[in-house]
Amino acid sequence: LALVPLAVGINLAMGQIVSLLALPVYLDTVGTVLVAALAGPWAALATGLVSQLILGLFVNSVLLAFLLVQLLVAVYAGVMCCHFRVFRSAPRAGGSGLVLGILAASASWPISLLVFGGVTSPGVTLVTAVLGGLGLPLRWAVYVASLATDIVDKTATFLVVYAVLSALPGRLAGRFPAAARARGVAG
Amino acid sequence: VIRHVEGTGILHRIHPLTAFGLAVSISTSVFVAPPPLGPVAVLAGTVILAVVSRLPSALGRTVVVSVPFWGFLLLIHGLLRHDPGRAVVIGSRVSTVILVFAAVVTAVQPARLVDALAALRAPFSVGYVFSATLLVVPRLRDRARAISEAQQCRGLRVAGSPLGRIRAVVPLTVPLVLSALSEVDERAVALATRGVGGRAVRTVLHPPNAGGLDVAMGILGVGILVGSFFWRVG
Repeated sequence: LALVPLAVGINLAMGQIVSLLALPVYLDTVGTVLVAALAGPWAALATGLVSQLILGLFVNSVLLAFLLVQLLVAVYAGVMCCHFRVFRSAPRAGGSGLVLGILAASASWPISLLVFGGVTSPGVTLVTAVLGGLGLPLRWAVYVASLATDIVDKTATFLVVYAVLSALPGRLAGRFPAAARARGVAG
Repeated sequence: VIRHVEGTGILHRIHPLTAFGLAVSISTSVFVAPPPLGPVAVLAGTVILAVVSRLPSALGRTVVVSVPFWGFLLLIHGLLRHDPGRAVVIGSRVSTVILVFAAVVTAVQPARLVDALAALRAPFSVGYVFSATLLVVPRLRDRARAISEAQQCRGLRVAGSPLGRIRAVVPLTVPLVLSALSEVDERAVALATRGVGGRAVRTVLHPPNAGGLDVAMGILGVGILVGSFFWRVG
């Protein structure tokens, strides 16, 4: 209960860092994946749900449509942390993020296409427009643009969480027994 | 982030849950109403509601968010696919959802929403997570800004080559996340001392009341939804 509001705050504050660095990613699921590693899938699910509701209500209600994608991220991260020790090494974390990117793009592109006509964030939409202009059917243009963005975004998210877990002081890490399992340093 | 603005308009005076119910009803109606005229009509009605409720900031916010969205819609559906009608339908639907939620969030004080949930005997955790998050978000954003300024003072470069900017992610993120995690213990103790997890039922000092205006807005919400449905099937 104490961790969820802070994790949602991290999800939203990451937008500020990304916009400062002008990077073509969102990193708005760092808090959700981190909670999955620190406290397991249920807490991650709660973080994902609250995060998307707060983003949808207080930032842009369009984001409410992508609630299922945020929940998918939470479930995937929770399962991977519990059973596959994804944060044991950077390549393992990056690979898991890459797979999540493919899953997230596959879940989000029907929403982008059917609800928003292929228009989402400016960067992704520009790619969609260019691919559409080159003659690719709209549904494939939307999918390719979503895939490219989500693979980069989710891989970066997992690598950032790996960096955070690696920097976690022992005393703080001791408060979160699940973190040791996600890092592969405990049974 | 949309912030609450004090006022005396219709949406300010109704029960918080009536306001959110109306937002859900209008958001559903704009997808149920038959295109192309239905979504445009629901959007026009929502603009009137925002004007009558004296919520210019919600209207301004909607314009700021919607203009680039409409631009891309007209580019993709108007220019590339020669179907501007579809751009108008999708744009009206999305602008309606943005406007109605911006209006409700601007009008409803978050604390009143939490009180309304508590008065309905919703679990304490629901209200707590919602209100605590709203307090934490601006604080963490301020902290992210302070960390970025401090790191830049130490020589971190946040502009320039893409590789340099990617390298800057970790020095900006790790201090932010670790400082947030160091608060968890303090919060857990504070919650435990306030009896969270106990069996006692919490009460609200000033629960929001529903009155005649809520009945009228409830009828309006249901009416819009039912009307849109019959317009579609009829």
